[in-house]
Amino acid sequence: MAAAIQAEELTKDYAIGFWRKRPYRALDRLSIAIEPGEVFGFLGPNGAGKTTTMKLLMQLVYPTSGRAEILGHPVGHVATRQRIGYLPENPYFYDYLTAEELLSYFAQLFGYPAADRAKRVSTLLDRVGIGAERRLQLRKFSKGMVQRVGIAQALINDPEVVFLDEPMSGLDPLGRRDVRTLILELREQGRTVFFSSHILADAQALCSRVAVVAGGRLAASGRVSDILAFEVRGWELVMSALRPEVIARLTPIAQRIVEISPGRYSIELALDHPPERVLADLTAAGASLVSLNPVHDTLEDYFVKRVAEAGSARPASIGAPRAGD
Amino acid sequence: MTGTSAAAAHSTPGVSAFVYGLAAAAIMAAAIGAQIARDRIYQQRERDTERILYVRSGEAAKRITLDFDALAADVYWIRAIQHYGGDRLVGARAHKYELLYPLLDLTTTLDPYFTIAYRFGAIFLSEPAPGGPGRPDQAIGLLQKGLIAQPTKWQYFHDVAFVHYWHLRDFKTAAQWFQRAADQPDSPNWLRPLAAGMLTAGNDRASARILWTQILASDQEWLRKTAARSLQQLDTLDVIDQLQAVVRRFPPPPGAPYSWDDYVRRGILRMVPFDTTNTPFDIDPASGTITVSTASSLYPMPSLPS
Amino acid sequence: MRAISCIAVNVFRESVRDRVPYNLVVFAVLLIASSFFLGQLTAGQDVKIIKDLGLAATSVFGLFIAIFIGIGLVSKEVERRSIYSLLSKPISRPQLVLGKYAGLVLTLAVNVAVMTVAQFAVLAYLTWTSDPAIQSAWDAPGIDPALLKAIALIFVELMLITAVAVFFSTFSTPLLSAALTFGLYLVGHFNADLRNFEVAVNSRTAAWIARGLYHVLPDLSAFDVKTQVVHGLPVPAGYLALTMGYGGLYIALLLLTATFIFSRRDFK
Repeated sequence: MAAAIQAEELTKDYAIGFWRKRPYRALDRLSIAIEPGEVFGFLGPNGAGKTTTMKLLMQLVYPTSGRAEILGHPVGHVATRQRIGYLPENPYFYDYLTAEELLSYFAQLFGYPAADRAKRVSTLLDRVGIGAERRLQLRKFSKGMVQRVGIAQALINDPEVVFLDEPMSGLDPLGRRDVRTLILELREQGRTVFFSSHILADAQALCSRVAVVAGGRLAASGRVSDILAFEVRGWELVMSALRPEVIARLTPIAQRIVEISPGRYSIELALDHPPERVLADLTAAGASLVSLNPVHDTLEDYFVKRVAEAGSARPASIGAPRAGD
Repeated sequence: MTGTSAAAAHSTPGVSAFVYGLAAAAIMAAAIGAQIARDRIYQQRERDTERILYVRSGEAAKRITLDFDALAADVYWIRAIQHYGGDRLVGARAHKYELLYPLLDLTTTLDPYFTIAYRFGAIFLSEPAPGGPGRPDQAIGLLQKGLIAQPTKWQYFHDVAFVHYWHLRDFKTAAQWFQRAADQPDSPNWLRPLAAGMLTAGNDRASARILWTQILASDQEWLRKTAARSLQQLDTLDVIDQLQAVVRRFPPPPGAPYSWDDYVRRGILRMVPFDTTNTPFDIDPASGTITVSTASSLYPMPSLPS
Repeated sequence: MRAISCIAVNVFRESVRDRVPYNLVVFAVLLIASSFFLGQLTAGQDVKIIKDLGLAATSVFGLFIAIFIGIGLVSKEVERRSIYSLLSKPISRPQLVLGKYAGLVLTLAVNVAVMTVAQFAVLAYLTWTSDPAIQSAWDAPGIDPALLKAIALIFVELMLITAVAVFFSTFSTPLLSAALTFGLYLVGHFNADLRNFEVAVNSRTAAWIARGLYHVLPDLSAFDVKTQVVHGLPVPAGYLALTMGYGGLYIALLLLTATFIFSRRDFK
């Protein structure tokens, strides 16, 4: 199946400095392919090249070398944009338009006739949770509301591929949950979602595959399930009715013991201590089992490891790190 | 400038730089063509509107131009020259020069130290009709304005004296002003003898020659041209005197008019005499008085006895 | 085409709601109305003052609006990045620039129309309340259709300034764009003096350079026929045609260059 999004050796150099321009490599030969229907997480620390990649894909900047395609057409092919949606990072729209007018304007640019437009706009605003405020001018909107409007405008054309740059930024926990739900819905609908984030918990929950960039280079990529499956680091035993003297016995072997409530403890064991033995001991001492689970490395641990491996040296050209990305 | 990077560094869609350059050049050429066509056809427009100079008051102009007085003075000065030059060049139209004084006044109010505007302006203003507005009074007024800003500038005294001498024929006042010029610091040492000579024999061509020869050494082209012309006029006066003497000595037969052909036929003159601009002299058929032709650029001539 | 008109209408809508241009127009109209009272002070010169003030107000306020919206709606948009979402829609970058420009021109047209109506209203009132004997002494009739010629040229000039503003906006920050546009406006008005440089200057090279600049820089003083119209002097149709043609060509050049730059730039 043809990739929904494909990048080959995508590279971006910037010239920085005022008098003698030095080249700064923001992105070095990135090659990735995203399959249709995937939710793909693009992760990395600040300055790693996430936003640069997003901008290259949206043709806001032009590559120094390499190429990229969306839905089989080169990036920048105008007609393809009919089928994609984009939410920029920290979006800013037009102060004096209302949410309705903004969406209607964009819908018009997509070519929808008037009646259709009104329906789309109204449905989408409902979907992102903007009620009566839709008639207020955008300059009166809070950051969270602007973010919602941003998501709405990214979906106005029922896009096959959706690009989201930091979609959770500016949202409170409820808002974040809404966005998560929405992304899951998009997945249900078979759309491809490409999003960049530094909130790894979200990526872990939503993505089928992730890529980690650091220092302008692709540091690692893979299926989330694979990453998490391989990275089991221990066991978590939750026991109740544990008496303190029994806990004392556990201390040398447990990696961590946390009291959840009086008598109920969460005990983390390293991989080399089979839990069955410990369970038997504790049950014999009068405690009862509440739950027994493997402890995975989180995506965060994976992330930190890969970034550390990639190092902070920039590929090829010498350049001072830039603030922000 | 934000957000630019070398266009050569990346592949870009759309029109190539070469095609763009060609299109841009073509459009620019067409625009310039329209501009030139318009200028050529509608030259008059500028002359008419210049006459309706909106801001005549120097003080008002000074306020309007904020701190850019000197620059504005330059602009008005250029317009004054255009005006003077323009009106002279457009031959057939009646020379009115009515804007010349307001323009010079504006220029010098905006920049009171603008020496050339005063000096040059005075010469323009005093030039008699039809070559100029013929306003020696305005010329003197302008120079006196200059003296308010720079009370010890000998050149202004000299110029005032000059106007009195050459245009107003008031030798006594001229001499006084030359004297005052000589009294200023840094004044050249030929001023004092000039003042003295003026009192005794002011009404002669020799003094005039001295004065104009001074001006011939000026660094301003217009001044030099005027001086050269005046010197030519003086020479022409000498030539006329000689011719007049010949004409008087050999009058035509009684009843016949004075004419050059007559003298040539009689062999008294080899050919019809002409001035330094190659324009033949006029001779009055009744009185035999020789004058420079009105068609000559030396016209009108000063009247100075030898 | 649809995209361009869609963007244009949106630009117009935004500018109408933005308080600053709105206030400028209101102020201009008030000024024009007050010219009627100023006229009362000038003993017979009232029609001239009203026309002068009206045309000058249209020109000056039009200039401020052109620069303000021109910069605000393109340069500021690039700086604030609201242009990102627009760029991801199925429109090309040239369409975006042209759409913005068309919207600005539409806004200007409406503003100039409002000021023109105000001016004619005042003139109509003056003509209606003035003695026919006094009116016969006026250089030009109170309600003079020739005023429209002056206003038409002012409008084309404003379109040119707006094109300059859009041009600078494609690569420069809002503040710098505004300054450069205003600077070019001033230079354009002194253009005529450049042409006659050779009269005042001795060096041939300087005269040549001045001549060259005269042709290359926008010749804005040519659009100023206010004096002629107010004094009833004729403004030939050929002059109007050539000057407006010049304006149109120069605008085309600026927009062509603007789209060229805009199409190739990175939005960092």
